[in-house]
Amino acid sequence: MNDVRDEALALADETIALMRAAGASDAEATVSVVDRFSCEARGGELTKLQRSRGRTLSVRAFVGTRRAAFSTTDASRDGVAELARRVVAAAAFVGEDPHAGLPDAFADDGVCDHDLFTVAPDVAERDDEEKIAEALGMERTIREADDRITNSQASRVGDAIASWALANTRGFRGVSQGTTVSRSSAPIARDGDRKRIGNYGTAARGWATAEAAQAVALHAVHRALALCGARKPATMRVPVIFERDVAAAVIADVFSALNAANVATGNSWLADRIGARIGSERVTIVDDGRLRGGLGTSPFDAEGTPTRETVVFEGGELRTYLSDVYWGRRLGIASTGNAAGGGVGANNLFLVPGNGTLDDLVANTERGVLVLDTIGFATEHASGVYSRGARGIYIEDGVPMYPIDEFTISSTLPEMLAGIDAVAGDLRFDGTIVSPSFRVAEMTVSGS
Amino acid sequence: MQGLDAALLARILTRALRRGGDFADVFFEHRLVQTFRLEEGRIREASSSVVRGVGVRLVVGERAGFAYSDNLDENSLLRAAEAASLIARDGRAAGSVADLGAQPAPALYEPHPDEPADSARYVELLARADVAARGFDPHVASVNAFITDELQHVQIATSDGRIVTDRRPLVTLGVQVVAKDGGRRENGYVGDGGRTAIDVYEGRTPESIARESARIATVKLDARDAPAGEMPVVIGPGGGGVLLHEAVGHGLEADFNRTGTSLYSGRVGERVASELVTIYDDGDLLGERGTVAVDDEGTPGSHKVLVEAGILQGYMQDRLNARLMGVASTGSGRRESFRVLPQPRMCNTYMPSGTSTPQEIVGSIERGLYATSFSGGQVEISKGDFVFMIAEGYLIENGRITAPVRGATLVGNGPRAMEKVTMVGNDARLANRSYTCGKGGQRVPVGVGIPTVKLASCTVGGTAR
Repeated sequence: MNDVRDEALALADETIALMRAAGASDAEATVSVVDRFSCEARGGELTKLQRSRGRTLSVRAFVGTRRAAFSTTDASRDGVAELARRVVAAAAFVGEDPHAGLPDAFADDGVCDHDLFTVAPDVAERDDEEKIAEALGMERTIREADDRITNSQASRVGDAIASWALANTRGFRGVSQGTTVSRSSAPIARDGDRKRIGNYGTAARGWATAEAAQAVALHAVHRALALCGARKPATMRVPVIFERDVAAAVIADVFSALNAANVATGNSWLADRIGARIGSERVTIVDDGRLRGGLGTSPFDAEGTPTRETVVFEGGELRTYLSDVYWGRRLGIASTGNAAGGGVGANNLFLVPGNGTLDDLVANTERGVLVLDTIGFATEHASGVYSRGARGIYIEDGVPMYPIDEFTISSTLPEMLAGIDAVAGDLRFDGTIVSPSFRVAEMTVSGS
Repeated sequence: MQGLDAALLARILTRALRRGGDFADVFFEHRLVQTFRLEEGRIREASSSVVRGVGVRLVVGERAGFAYSDNLDENSLLRAAEAASLIARDGRAAGSVADLGAQPAPALYEPHPDEPADSARYVELLARADVAARGFDPHVASVNAFITDELQHVQIATSDGRIVTDRRPLVTLGVQVVAKDGGRRENGYVGDGGRTAIDVYEGRTPESIARESARIATVKLDARDAPAGEMPVVIGPGGGGVLLHEAVGHGLEADFNRTGTSLYSGRVGERVASELVTIYDDGDLLGERGTVAVDDEGTPGSHKVLVEAGILQGYMQDRLNARLMGVASTGSGRRESFRVLPQPRMCNTYMPSGTSTPQEIVGSIERGLYATSFSGGQVEISKGDFVFMIAEGYLIENGRITAPVRGATLVGNGPRAMEKVTMVGNDARLANRSYTCGKGGQRVPVGVGIPTVKLASCTVGGTAR
């Protein structure tokens, strides 16, 4: 494995030298190499099998304060030289931007001497045949679990070993590596003359720490069956409980508003709100780039800035945005170590958990809706308007009454954060943006 | 380099078939994309990207083995073929490769040069968009614009003896405007382009795109919260075609139907919509975003009748699913890049004109909603439930379009919504060329279109109390 990292770093070094030769005053090169395996089974058949290694070279170059970039899967010397020439020429047409440039200084040399547990050795060791057997096993499990499960959109098992190297002309050189594994299943239940699909998946750094295949399959079955017999609810304003996966999607929407690039361009409802009380006292949101074994953990970000733990909301008060170097300079704040893929990304962003279970949230809700799944992507980040198609369970007197679907839930993100009045303790780090289940005191449920 | 030589392609296919299998294909891709971005009146970044590599697939029944390589040396390519061959697990005799003959793709794109244009031309287009958006209204607070110019060369070799090449241009100019009034912020986005060169912006000017975006953002500053509940909904011409894409189109992709997971499975010949509803998917419209002279499996893009007068006519097929369903591919096998397997996908999905005038349609409604354009749509395939946000919408009161609304979502069920189509306008058109569809993590450019259409009732998710 060290070979991969060494080769990647050598290519990054060569590339920044080429950029200099082409006329760049500063340059940064990132080489990522990913070895990926995935398999998919449906019924008793292995339906897909994939194994590949992919390499991508991404470069940022500066000609004075003018910025240019390229990425390529063709890392041949000729290919890179041609792109270097092309982007340096194009940079002449870019406006001067005093904020553009590499990070000024590095507190850390980036070559990590602290183990953040991003590599699980069992990923490289595990045999592909075992993973194939596991996918086939999940298909058996979902069909044996309930007579109503008669079909599926497949069960999948996959893993990846990602290695990357970063070098820049200010002397930063760093390498890092991470493993990921994933399991998912999508059983389809017969519900009268309709079909109900249940989707569930999980991810982790290694096989030993991932949710077991059997549990993933059964959870997916539960999701398919939970909605059987669903009806359309009446239009009402009631408390809405978000199960942890849909809760995480809400936190992902909040991240878009925390993204310094959106804040600086006015495309965020959180612009100009630092220090303001936005959420309820239960809203503490943290981004921790150094969480041991976290799926978004890395010793340094995409610009070489050391990652860190950043408290974004504390007791409902907005403390800071998440930023890379450029957008931080635009806003007058330091990078929070959130540079990713040419922009700003979350590392491990989560709502700090409370106590109790999802069932407790339901039991403490007089009349309301538990949302298990949402569809649609549209959130208006400038205004914070939030609206989703949803499916879930209608609650009365703290008791789940019957499944409901074909309705929307809507509000605005500021009203939702202010309205979070209960947070469960069921947080799991199975993604880079995660959340425990929570309840919003009131939202519009639009049905019939 | 725009492809591999025939002898090497034959060796790769032979290796992929060495454990047996029904067919193999090799997909070579070279894609160069040039992008410029403008923000706060300045060009902030120039960027290029190259996607170059080869995907090798072996198909055995409903099984697909796949591997890719971004290294084009023979050893790496044969290693990918070997990995793909592993899906053939029952030890059959090696499959054979027919002699490979080259076939050109039909010409369905506007002319595009081999190289990106002079940088100055992109910069000028963006600067014009910026000035136009800022000049539109004093409430315009920020303008972001980008232009991308892409040229993709593909070469597809199949074990049944074809080598097909295609050269696909694609340009997009998009303008995002944020308008501000006191503490209230609203945004608008409009993009346009197509499978053409940037000369297209001589007719469809950057000013017109920018003003349209600024208009949407500023209109929303005065928007009231959308109503909630069931009501009649009018879908505006062009961009409203997203409705067809989500509510019907995805459910007619062959993979979901071959595996019996779509609600439309096994229903060809049955009534699935009001008799006013006809839906086409065309891969062969000149210059549209979703047009493919050949798809990513080498099959020519075609005109497909999906629904005619309410009756389901057929599905959108790729090779694997068509073979298993005993029909021909419809040229719908598309992939985001060489790093992923093809899937059956939509191209340009639209409804042709009916007989009502738009005025008659709006005039027939006492209280309802008019949806001009949508964003963020999604459908659940098995049951057919769909949702999308109305990017621009208005109230209909007493037969007239009145106040703008914000935060409205449409939610419903595909076949039931299509059953409620009670009027179809005579004004069918394709939307701006700016739509991208996601499926299974793969994004491909598509087109949508529709005339003005009345849904007698649909659930509107709004926030008005």
